[in-house]
Amino acid sequence: MLKEVIKPFRYQRRTLEELGEIRKQGKNSAQDFGGTLKKIWHILALNKGKLILVLLMVTISSSMVLLGPFLVGMGIDDFIVNRDPAGLITLIWVLAIIYIIHSLSTWFQAAWMIRIAQNTVYTMRTNLFDHLHKLPIPFFDKRQHGELMSRVTNDMENVSSTLNSSVIQIVSSVLTLIGTVCVMLYLSPLLTFITMLIIPAMYVGMKWITKRTSRLFKEQQRNLGELNGYIQETMSGQRIIKMFSQEKRVIQQFEERNARLKLAGFWAQTFSGFIPKLMNFLNNISFAMIALVGGILALNGNGSISIGVIVIFVEYARQFTRPLNDLANQFNTLLSAVAGAERVFDIMDEEEERKDEKNAIEIDQLYGRVEFLNVSFAYEKGEDTVSDISFSVSPGETIAFVGPTGAGKTTMINLLSRFYDANEGVVFIDDRDITTIKRSSFRRHMAFVLQDSFLFEGTIRENIRYGRLDASDEEVEKAAELANAATFIRRMPKQFDTLIQADGQGISQGQRQLLSIARAILANPSILVMDEATSSIDTITEIKIQEALQRLMKGRTSFVIAHRLNTIQNADQILVLDNGQLIEQGNHEELLKQKGFYAELHNSQLRGKIML
Amino acid sequence: MRRILSFLTPYRLAIIIALFLMLIELTVELIQPLLIAHIIDEGILKEDLSVVLLWGGVLIGCSFIAFFSGVVNSFYSSHVSQSFGFDVRKSLYDKVQAFSFTNFSQFPTSSLITRLTNDVTMLQNTVFMSLRIMMRAPLLVIGSVIMAFFVSPGLALVLVIAVPLLVLFLVLIMRKAGALFKAVQRRVDHVNNVMQENLAGIRLIRAFLRENHEVTRFKQSSGALMEKTVSAFRLVEVTMPIILLLMNASILFILWFGSVEVSAGQASVGDVVAVVNYATRMTGALSIVTMIIMVFSRAKASGERVSEVLGSEIDVIDKELSEEHTISEGSISFQNVTFTYPGTEVEIIKKLSFHVNPGERVSILGATGSGKSTLFQLIPRLYDIDQGKILIDGWENSFIKLEHLRKQIGFVPQEAMLFTGTVRDNIMWGNEHATLDEIKEAAARAQIHEAIMKLPKQYDTVVGQKGVNLSGGQKQRLSIARALVRKPVILLMDDSTSALDMKTEARLLDELSQFSCTTLMITQKISTTMASDQVLLLDDGEIIAQGSHQSLLKSSKLYQQIVESQVGKEALTLVERGH
Repeated sequence: MLKEVIKPFRYQRRTLEELGEIRKQGKNSAQDFGGTLKKIWHILALNKGKLILVLLMVTISSSMVLLGPFLVGMGIDDFIVNRDPAGLITLIWVLAIIYIIHSLSTWFQAAWMIRIAQNTVYTMRTNLFDHLHKLPIPFFDKRQHGELMSRVTNDMENVSSTLNSSVIQIVSSVLTLIGTVCVMLYLSPLLTFITMLIIPAMYVGMKWITKRTSRLFKEQQRNLGELNGYIQETMSGQRIIKMFSQEKRVIQQFEERNARLKLAGFWAQTFSGFIPKLMNFLNNISFAMIALVGGILALNGNGSISIGVIVIFVEYARQFTRPLNDLANQFNTLLSAVAGAERVFDIMDEEEERKDEKNAIEIDQLYGRVEFLNVSFAYEKGEDTVSDISFSVSPGETIAFVGPTGAGKTTMINLLSRFYDANEGVVFIDDRDITTIKRSSFRRHMAFVLQDSFLFEGTIRENIRYGRLDASDEEVEKAAELANAATFIRRMPKQFDTLIQADGQGISQGQRQLLSIARAILANPSILVMDEATSSIDTITEIKIQEALQRLMKGRTSFVIAHRLNTIQNADQILVLDNGQLIEQGNHEELLKQKGFYAELHNSQLRGKIML
Repeated sequence: MRRILSFLTPYRLAIIIALFLMLIELTVELIQPLLIAHIIDEGILKEDLSVVLLWGGVLIGCSFIAFFSGVVNSFYSSHVSQSFGFDVRKSLYDKVQAFSFTNFSQFPTSSLITRLTNDVTMLQNTVFMSLRIMMRAPLLVIGSVIMAFFVSPGLALVLVIAVPLLVLFLVLIMRKAGALFKAVQRRVDHVNNVMQENLAGIRLIRAFLRENHEVTRFKQSSGALMEKTVSAFRLVEVTMPIILLLMNASILFILWFGSVEVSAGQASVGDVVAVVNYATRMTGALSIVTMIIMVFSRAKASGERVSEVLGSEIDVIDKELSEEHTISEGSISFQNVTFTYPGTEVEIIKKLSFHVNPGERVSILGATGSGKSTLFQLIPRLYDIDQGKILIDGWENSFIKLEHLRKQIGFVPQEAMLFTGTVRDNIMWGNEHATLDEIKEAAARAQIHEAIMKLPKQYDTVVGQKGVNLSGGQKQRLSIARALVRKPVILLMDDSTSALDMKTEARLLDELSQFSCTTLMITQKISTTMASDQVLLLDDGEIIAQGSHQSLLKSSKLYQQIVESQVGKEALTLVERGH
């Protein structure tokens, strides 16, 4: 039992230095705080008109709050004490109107503010998403997806709930505060001064706390993001976890992350919980001070302060503390919102994919001539994945990349599609430096069958239509027909309208590839890029696929990464890559004559077949 | 909801302490006016400075007590809410790890993620706030009604009528808001889902220039979330003006009745003032109620979503076993196995029967969608079958402990999935007790050791979502190493050599022959089937041909066609010439 009692004090301490370490990895948080608020404000200000209306409503409702009790007091004094029922009835009518206005203004301010807040959140969220699509591919290769997702949901949630209530609260608190201070000054400047004595103490205390909480909140959000990332990854890898019965292990690893989140959360919450307590304490102290000093002054009878004044003053001092308290509480949620928003803006500050060059041009037509001139590229600095590659391709040719795994075949495709930019050398398309053509412009004329044939949640039809959004139903079905996907689609319960679930459950790998081929066919490209597309489709289907692909490749420049010789043999050019070097180049016959790497590769497979 | 509340039970004591501390604070707050009144009445009015000093001191002392309680309360409340959140997340995650794939199909991944983070955070914050401020409002309301009753039962009657009305109204709103917030959370799921899809499919999106399309899709999803959030919050925010209206109306009634009673001499003016004061104070307290309603309705929605996961029944579980069956040989028998994916009607596997002897290598061929991958998932019992039996070493697989069963199986999936972590970690997925030598041996067998040694930090290089780029073939070989390091009795390879070049594949198959385990390989390559003891030709969930490569070459027309298509004319002529 005692253990349970002392537990809250046994959490591992986090020193400011430790938190500082964490912070250093990010940016200067003191500066960020103001900066982040400013950024939020900019988005909030997009709703300027409504915001002004809200402020107006807050002013009205705040003044109604003050006016109501005043009139009630008057009513008691003037009409009940003086027994004037007629006057009372008039007053009640007046009060009723005031109360209705109060309720209405309260409702309007809330309703409008919610709209503004949610608009702001919506804008932030879509801006973030929009920006994500401007980031270069390497950004995504280095990030955990779940962690990024957490920013869109968990971090935005913090911003959302704060904006909903805080703006109104802050404004109305400030208004009430100003009003109260005015009355207090009028009553007794001296006592007001004493009341204000708590403000420096408040400042110091708040600074001490927020120095910690602002970091802790950010750490909490970061830990939450990490946890999210881990959950996302282990959910997508569920099959592996089950197959390898590694549940215990992931549960244990999850728990470590969960515990880190708990620790950060504990201190963030505990410290932020101090704020209202501190405010209350300081208020109570000022209360006591007023009573004490006021009492002494009144007793010493220098006439400046009457007992009545003290009584009223204590009342007002109480009124003074309430909005201060509210403000302190709001500050709390504001801190957590800023921590969330900061993580959103962090992404927004990520450098965009290198913009198209200023003089980059649009091209209407692509003939499909491609040339690589001394191209080198490295994913990690200093280690070239491909180096000094040169070759050229005439329109309509089929080019096969051959080589052991890790030789750089996929990298060639990444360069060709400009997912990555070459470190050295130039890639030409239709005799133009690829960097001088707008990305969107040349990608429009390209189609891809990528290694991961990704399916989106939606119908089969929608997934194929992804190749060309304005394609008609007939065109979609025709493309499926050409890709030999129609047979299996027709066998599905709702055929083309069958819904594919979020993770593409129930669609086999081979079927996925057929769908992505259909997608490419629909796109009707000038340049076709296939990354190991034909490798996991069964032989029977592949015969049909080959035939469909032959049709598709006709008249288009096609780049294929394939492993089987019969795909390669028909290619106009075979590029043999090893270790990032282009070691052999030519068509099937030429390469066989060279008796090099390719010939050996070919013969080894041929030997395999002869063993039949 | 009860299920969620039960998570608080272990922290009873801490909760009681936290609430007690809060009560102390509240008490101090309530007696403060009394103390001040005392100072004025006994000290200032009677011109007794010692009383002023004494009670002033008491006042300050009380403030210290309140402050101290508040700070300590902060510790307890954080402790309870964070521990609660930790426990809920843990149980959720444990539960999800126990999920069968049928369970998974009920909850999309994105929704599970939202439930585990966003929803739990919601609940956690509710607990924290409950322990700190929420109780104050109801206590203040009740206290004020009681006090008013003492002052003047007649006038307090108005409040006694008004308060239950308010409570009823608030309960109604909470119900309605709960449903709305649940819808909000569903929208959050959807936003999460679009985001997840975009991250996973980013290359495809870029390649097909569908950024704008996706942004529109996200805007729709995000917009729907916005609209639902606005309508949920607006409903909740209606409570505040209505509470104000009702309470203010009560004040007007009190004024009116008060004047009547004062005229009749049944109440004093002071009484009226006091009751009006209490009513005003109640209004203040009730304004916090709006916030409480909002927080609780959200918590209700989130709680239900969490309960849904915790309450879902898991279908694939260990049966009560009278004896432990162990497998060590690796024979596999399918006897009339029929299987349909849960929630669908199409039979994927139809009355399938075959037998594999220990140590044999079996190739499974078939058209896409013929049920090969499904077949693989039935052996480690990822799904339970509808009819028939799957025997492993003579035991029905549903009578073998799941953990034991799966421990003996090494699986290499079609899509090489790596987890964020080092190369070593990823291989150790197969066997967490593996030594570095064993890891290296498995890697060498999987033909990936050399490639690993070329990585910047070799076995300590981080791969996965946050890691370095590996090629498709490298990923596949890494996942083969992961399966081999288990030293499995049964090895299942689901077309796992598709991204490997011919040489590497040949070396790999060579290595595997020296590895004594029953091996089932889904493949499209004749080079693989040739090196197998048995070949199963699958079509539409049925076996249409079965036998060794040589016998199938003679007996199965389809198999001949497949061989022909792959070998091509060139090799066939060579074959003809050679034989």
